[in-house]
Amino acid sequence: MKFADFICRQAILPQLHATDKEGTIREMVQALCKAGKIEKSQYESIVQAILKREELGSTGIGRGVAIPHTKHPSVDQLIGAVAVSRQGVDFASLDGEAVYLFFLLISPPDRPGDHLRALENISRQLHVDTFCRFLKQAKTVEDIQVLLDEADNNQFGS
Amino acid sequence: MSQPVLRRILLVTDPAGVHARTAVAIAELARRHGATITLSKGGQQAAATDVLQIMSLAVCEGETLEVEVSGNHAAEVLETLAQFLAGKLDEETKPSA
Repeated sequence: MKFADFICRQAILPQLHATDKEGTIREMVQALCKAGKIEKSQYESIVQAILKREELGSTGIGRGVAIPHTKHPSVDQLIGAVAVSRQGVDFASLDGEAVYLFFLLISPPDRPGDHLRALENISRQLHVDTFCRFLKQAKTVEDIQVLLDEADNNQFGS
Repeated sequence: MSQPVLRRILLVTDPAGVHARTAVAIAELARRHGATITLSKGGQQAAATDVLQIMSLAVCEGETLEVEVSGNHAAEVLETLAQFLAGKLDEETKPSA
């Protein structure tokens, strides 16, 4: 699976405003809402589902990266948002470090395979230091989109 | 004396596969016991202390993982790992699953 298969271009946030975990999740879900990928009536339900998942254990997996996610019956295909924080967010990460890169995923409950393949793609790319560094330095939607496209074309050698 | 090394092929029976929470639980298990755990699927290997590497394997329900564990608690670690792959996380991963 490639980034282009699930990342919504209209939900790429090069300068996240939020400074805490809940604010980050709300800002990213709101972006998907504005992009028309989720129903406005489902906004709060999705936010609460992601927060509930975070209560089970932070998705801040270290290296300045977090992958907040949930399954939700209101979506019929996997959708994702990307955000970059300049100041870093305390996400209660495994390594205790601030998070700068966020990939938020919402998947249909009956498609665990798609969710795993998206995680696989994100993990494989984030394992490449160059991709991570460039993404943290990206300042515009276009910058991030180009990086995602290059990753999809295996230009980072992951 | 060299540390025991155990190898086993484990079937993933969790319907959600090896998702993020499982990957975190495995990494914490490895750290907690000071164990060296290597997971392999289709020739691709992952060090169990690295969540990104584990998730890179994209292991779905019904697939198998070759697991190699070394360390003083290898048998215990292997048993717990098998539980994780069956989706039984809560009893081992609180409070930081």
